[in-house]
Amino acid sequence: MLIWFLPTFLIFLMIGLPVFFALLAAPGILLWLNGQTNDITLLYRNVYNGMDSFPLMAIPFFMLAGELMNRGGITIRLVEFSQALMGHFRGGLAHVNVLSSILFAGLSGSAVADTSALGSMLIPAMEKQGYTRRFAAAITAASSVIGPIIPPSGIMIIYAYVMGESVAALFLAGIVPGVMVGVGLMLMIKVMADKYDFPVASRKYTWPERRQASLKAFFPLLTPVIILGGILGGIFTPTEAAAVAVGYAFIIGFFVLRTLTLKEVPEILSNAGLTSAVVLLLVGAAMAFKTVVSLSHAPEQLAALILGLSENPLILLFLINLLLFVVGMFLDAGPAIIILGPILAPIFTSLGVDPIHFAIIMSVNLTVGLATPPMGLVLFVAAAVSREKVETIAKAILPFLAVEIIVIFLITYVPALSMTIPRITGFAN
Amino acid sequence: MGGLASVLAPIAFVNETVLRFGRAVGIVAIALMVIAILIQVFFRYVLGNALPWPDEAARFCMLWMTGLMAPTAFRRGGFVAIDMVPMMLPRVLGQLLTLFLLIVSLAVLLVAVNIGWSEVTGFGGKFATAALYIPTSFGFDEWYRVPRSWMMASLLVGVILLIAVNIELILRAILTLLGGGDLLPKIADAPVGAE
Repeated sequence: MLIWFLPTFLIFLMIGLPVFFALLAAPGILLWLNGQTNDITLLYRNVYNGMDSFPLMAIPFFMLAGELMNRGGITIRLVEFSQALMGHFRGGLAHVNVLSSILFAGLSGSAVADTSALGSMLIPAMEKQGYTRRFAAAITAASSVIGPIIPPSGIMIIYAYVMGESVAALFLAGIVPGVMVGVGLMLMIKVMADKYDFPVASRKYTWPERRQASLKAFFPLLTPVIILGGILGGIFTPTEAAAVAVGYAFIIGFFVLRTLTLKEVPEILSNAGLTSAVVLLLVGAAMAFKTVVSLSHAPEQLAALILGLSENPLILLFLINLLLFVVGMFLDAGPAIIILGPILAPIFTSLGVDPIHFAIIMSVNLTVGLATPPMGLVLFVAAAVSREKVETIAKAILPFLAVEIIVIFLITYVPALSMTIPRITGFAN
Repeated sequence: MGGLASVLAPIAFVNETVLRFGRAVGIVAIALMVIAILIQVFFRYVLGNALPWPDEAARFCMLWMTGLMAPTAFRRGGFVAIDMVPMMLPRVLGQLLTLFLLIVSLAVLLVAVNIGWSEVTGFGGKFATAALYIPTSFGFDEWYRVPRSWMMASLLVGVILLIAVNIELILRAILTLLGGGDLLPKIADAPVGAE
């Protein structure tokens, strides 16, 4: 009977019950009907124990670091640096948008922060240069998904915690896919720039000017080096690296760039705290949900069902990508990972897919879902920032989504793309 | 409808006030988390002397930050949900569904508060934390070892605050259903996003 908690959960989810309550209500009801009332207490305990975690603390810290960097005027330095490198190409500002997203991704693990920070600056600038507003909003939304793929990444911390994987391995595995999305988007921009005669953003910068822009962006660009270098060098745990990133962002904002004021600090802390609180509660509920998933033997039954479709892992990976893509259209990446990770990962691991490789397939696919209609979160943020209709942006984003889908399949069928760096560094087998 | 609005107004006021206090404590908690971990990094890597308490103190702060700030997010509509179905339905049906979902949420929270109370006051809560002490004298010569129940109470308090918010949201939904949407007290500040 317990197996029925999955359909019950899906019904709750589809009719609009918040994911946190659905994760607890569906298994709770079934346990109660099954007479397993003691296990309902276990659900509560697992929510608490799930949240009481040192590794999970990296989530509020990275959110706080991103918020501090964003408010501290670091975004504009990254954009100026990108413009110095790519502004003279045809379609220059569109390229600058993508390159800024790649650089911003090294500071913040959030697509929403990327869209709002870069969008508010670059969409009006692109419009002024003659790009349509819908194109500017679409490329901002499409490139923002790089944020949670390139480390640090909030969703990868969640995945690593819920599934017991190494955060460092996931961070490393995300580097190449993130850069591939960026390069893919730039290639698409180049094709479109030639076809539609996009403007160049600026004259070609001289090398001294480029050096000047690099110096201004030096301290922000050092952040990913500190985070990844600290973790890989065995100096910090990911949580400690995240706290160091907060301290670093604080020092840069207050004492080096002097762009932050003490008056802004409570709001910055409040924003990071509110967002993290929701995520932490969700992760706690996911840990409780995971317990019932194991009690119900649902993964075994689902595995039998999925293996009934085909025993070829390549076909199954194709099908699972379709499933994830559809889920990503309706649900944000974090909750989707929390729900589907414990169900799907064991099935594919048993088929011989490396757990880190599967984590990356899932993370990239669901992250791209953030920019897909009808419920893509960054589409709504891009619409709010650009004051353009969501439907219009949703149409304009299609060529870029096509690129991202190609990248998803490349990552799926060429494991070396994501696995080489973690293997070379000894973080994966 | 006026009677319902007059019941809702004080509840909304109390929630607004209590949650503002909760956010203030949450802000301090997140700042303390960062400070605790930076102290840990400094002592471990610079002084070569790992302290026993920062890890647990930071987790203590994180749990209270979550318990005190999540209800604000819930009140501002920041709990992730797929709300396409309630939005696609005709107005009255959509509002009835919203009301039903809030009642399901309330049921979950009531079960949770019941279990949470027995957990905090029960056997598990009587254990002490591993490394958290607070001074009980001005000379810092007497220390009290913090019981685990103080950490566990964070989730219980969070659930109680979520219940208070849920009741307010139910009253708001009923008032909206009855056509009194313009009588609803405003909820301050922008919605919360989680990605």
